[in-house]
Amino acid sequence: MRQHTTQPEAEGATPSASVPWPIALDQVTVRYPNGVVALKDVSLRVEPGEMISVVGLSGSGKSTMIRTINGLVPATSGTVTVGPHTVTGLSGRQLRQLRGHVGMIFQHFNLADRASVYQNVLVGRFSHTPTWRTLLGSARPADRDIAMRALDSVGMLEKVWQRGGALSGGQKQRVAIARALSQEPAVMLADEPVASLDPPTAHSVMADLQRINQERGLTVLVNLHLMDLARQYTTRMIGLREGRLVYDGPAADATDADFEEIYGRPIQVKDRLDR
Amino acid sequence: MTATTTTRAATGALQIPVRPRSWPVRLAWAAVAVAIVAAFWDLGIEWSKLASLPSDLAHYTRLMFSDPDWSKLPEALYQTWRSVAMAWTGALLGVVLSTLLGIPAAQGVGPLWVRLPLRWVFAVIRAVPEVVIAIIILTVTGLTPFTGALALAIGGIGTHAKWTYETIESVPQGTSEAVRASGGNVLEVARWGLWPAASPELMSLGLYRFEINVRTSAILGLIGVGGIGDMLTGYTQYREWDTVGVLIIVVIVVTMSIDAVSGRIRRRIMEGAKARDLDRSA
Repeated sequence: MRQHTTQPEAEGATPSASVPWPIALDQVTVRYPNGVVALKDVSLRVEPGEMISVVGLSGSGKSTMIRTINGLVPATSGTVTVGPHTVTGLSGRQLRQLRGHVGMIFQHFNLADRASVYQNVLVGRFSHTPTWRTLLGSARPADRDIAMRALDSVGMLEKVWQRGGALSGGQKQRVAIARALSQEPAVMLADEPVASLDPPTAHSVMADLQRINQERGLTVLVNLHLMDLARQYTTRMIGLREGRLVYDGPAADATDADFEEIYGRPIQVKDRLDR
Repeated sequence: MTATTTTRAATGALQIPVRPRSWPVRLAWAAVAVAIVAAFWDLGIEWSKLASLPSDLAHYTRLMFSDPDWSKLPEALYQTWRSVAMAWTGALLGVVLSTLLGIPAAQGVGPLWVRLPLRWVFAVIRAVPEVVIAIIILTVTGLTPFTGALALAIGGIGTHAKWTYETIESVPQGTSEAVRASGGNVLEVARWGLWPAASPELMSLGLYRFEINVRTSAILGLIGVGGIGDMLTGYTQYREWDTVGVLIIVVIVVTMSIDAVSGRIRRRIMEGAKARDLDRSA
């Protein structure tokens, strides 16, 4: 996980994260230590402010691809670039600094269930806060303000003092979005954000992501396995099959045949959220 | 299992499959038998004494409990208090040290060159009994209850740090990944990704460590670091059975009470960890 490559110091010059960043993958391959090749020679460029979906079955490499963008999974070969940062080869403080500008939400929300919603959202301020403060859980007034505003923007402010574990699935995902927003990110990554939610909640969470993309102009990359969600909420779609990029085009134009090509099998009822 | 070894009843004569005999299993049994015999060989057991055991037991029980010397009760309670204080100080010190050392020893927290030496140290400590640790320490701190507390603290690290890293490793990875994804460093991952999920169990284990220490502290008295064990050894050596009776009663009652109270607190901690809402808005 941790490689000690020496990297030229590029600190201090990190621009403020309010401007959306482009993402570029150049011939990226990921081979896990157990020998599984999860991503094969994928090249891709995402423009700043784009709302893009990555579609594929489970095991197609979606989760791996999204994790190469914030360095949770290192690329075995090829280059990943996010805004001014070259992710490949980053480590330590520089990698954490990059992650501070990239928000991420997860299928299982990944909140600390036994900590308050407030403490959970403050996690988003970690890369901008001295470690001793985060360890004590004492936030500066400015960070507190950012966290509260992020919660308010997803309609969860009234739950701020509840435990993470006391919330419903949809509420947890909104808090997770608030956690990512409080980073004031330039890029938002979402790994199957609605796969654990019921259809109405799934739609409202997707609408939240769409609103974030439109109002804040963030670059948003969403992993999905459902074709109707990809068509409805994203403008461009990437298809992955067995680690290879097999589709890249406008999401609205993607035909059922295109999806069959991505899935590698005929369309089934479970490929749509609304049946 | 295979088709060829199944019985056929059609011809009348049963084809009974060959009974499998496993040489490794036989050898293992033989080894166990040898070990059992060897264990008794050199102990110098006088089996004839076993016959007089029930009557001896009754004799000493009468000596100890028929007319206990209750005038020694205040001294016994005071020494018990010193033992419990020793156990508590030892538990506190031991749990704090174990937490600080155990978390970096967990997979996914510390790198391999930190984990391996730490785990090796824990294993070495586990191999050394508290009494031996106390004997080593008393060369520095002397025959004081503090020596006992230090011995309990250091001895406790062996098992408690192991429990700590095992508990940390059993925490689901999701929250840690989220903290890392938002730019958190190792300390922040430990504090907000792992600690909230692991803390109830770690606190419960800490109390359990205290319960164990209460029992061990009585044994530590044997080498003279003070407390009820010290008193017990003294009066046993002078064969003042009526006082020994009082001491045994005190030890049993105090240990059982502490176990009961501590056990109850531990249950509350684990129940509270399951589902409780800290609603400060109402």
